[in-house]
Amino acid sequence: MALRAVRSMRSAACSLRAASAPAAPCLPRPWGLRAGAVRTLRTGSALLSVRKFTDKHEWITTENGIGTVGISNFAQEALGDVVYCSLPEVGTKLNKQEEFGALESVKAASELYSPLSGEVTEINEALAENPGLVNKSCYEDDTKYPVTLCGVGGGRGTPTVPGASFLIRSSSQ
Amino acid sequence: MLVPFSMKNCFQLLCNLKVPTAGFKNTVKSGLILQSISNDVYQNLAVEDWIHDHVNLEGKPVLFLWRNSPSVVIGRHQNPWQECNLNLMREEGIKLARRRSGGGTVYHDMGNINLTFFTTKKKYNRMENLKLVVRALNAIQPQLDVQATKRCDLLLDGQFKISGTASKIGRTTAYHHCTLLCSTNRTFLSSLLKSPYQGIKSNATASIPSVVKNLLEKDPTLTCEVLMNAIAAEYAAYHQIDNHINLINPTDETLFPGINNKAKELQTWEWIYGKTPKFSINTSFNVLYGQSYLEIKIVIDIKNGRIEICNIEAPDHWLPVEICDKLKAGFIGILLLEN
Repeated sequence: MALRAVRSMRSAACSLRAASAPAAPCLPRPWGLRAGAVRTLRTGSALLSVRKFTDKHEWITTENGIGTVGISNFAQEALGDVVYCSLPEVGTKLNKQEEFGALESVKAASELYSPLSGEVTEINEALAENPGLVNKSCYEDDTKYPVTLCGVGGGRGTPTVPGASFLIRSSSQ
Repeated sequence: MLVPFSMKNCFQLLCNLKVPTAGFKNTVKSGLILQSISNDVYQNLAVEDWIHDHVNLEGKPVLFLWRNSPSVVIGRHQNPWQECNLNLMREEGIKLARRRSGGGTVYHDMGNINLTFFTTKKKYNRMENLKLVVRALNAIQPQLDVQATKRCDLLLDGQFKISGTASKIGRTTAYHHCTLLCSTNRTFLSSLLKSPYQGIKSNATASIPSVVKNLLEKDPTLTCEVLMNAIAAEYAAYHQIDNHINLINPTDETLFPGINNKAKELQTWEWIYGKTPKFSINTSFNVLYGQSYLEIKIVIDIKNGRIEICNIEAPDHWLPVEICDKLKAGFIGILLLEN
């Protein structure tokens, strides 16, 4: 099941349209970058992403058994300015609905719950230096690009996708 | 796992108080007020964890009142080396705890009251809780000028911080806790919350120092007991519940199964120090060598409380390279203890 990481349906539509555009000057641009990664990894055509939301405002998209996890736009607005992202180490095994990290904003620590079981294969290192990226998006031509907060996905040996967030491999693979 | 707050639980919790059997149903109706009989910071933090994990707060919010013997409590994502004087704490026997909520570092002693407001995630509203505290204070002392700020601090006379706030938001429940300075040792507070360590570079959340004051200094009738009773009364009135403060023992496994394990976990090195976000120390010092001073530079990267990378730059004639390398290698993996 191939899915793609985006933050809102509107963004998804915009991202599809802009997938062929060159990389924007601002980081990260997970949609465009992941499209590139898919081309190197797959022989089939990229499938339209279907973003699934949990009732706790985490979303997940998966591709090639790789899931990408993030939080919804609603959630990041409700949180306020994020000042710290606590994400798990690469290799950490997660269970569905288990707490895997936290976001801190205005003296509140909000827990993050994993929408699936698997193993963390990559994390968005940029968030350590710049946790405010959770709130921001890159703007280009009035098109809002989703910032992938947490990427989930990738089996061992999968090339690192720059700008991707932390990745958890689905244990169903 | 959510445990419905049953009549049985309520009965157990209420058994420290003489409540007529006819009153049970009413008391359970829409809220509960608890007060800890313990002054151990770890046990009291464990109560918060336990209620957060196990109690169904739908329609039944809980207020928890607690005080601790001298302790420094850092926020979930903070760096203790950056926030407090660990040497002084060790000399004076002051405990260090890391709580699970966000926010900054605070000093607790028996002159400080901690209030925890437990609600469902939907009902989470810090300003509402702080307004309740202000109403309670004004009910006993109408002249008192106490205001909540946008950062959820309480200020006395527009300038002195008397309360700081932090919270934790979980899957379905949330809690908001705050301090209230009644008669805390302010001199001690200032010296403990000042870090002597230089050269720390970190992404950890940093505290914002504030000028503080005790309510007792403003009005000698405002003792801890008076304040706790006033806040409990206001909470009871607001939630239309009986004004009963239920005393609880945080070590009671029959009331709180599994709570002692929670308290133990809060005391482990891995939680208190090991959870410190990655940071580096970049410092130098001078050593007298012959007639002059040599500058020795040290850069240490610490992850999960352990030295990951250690670089020492010293003139070769003072410390030969081979020995320097051995020294550096020897530091790797060492746990960074309090000092």
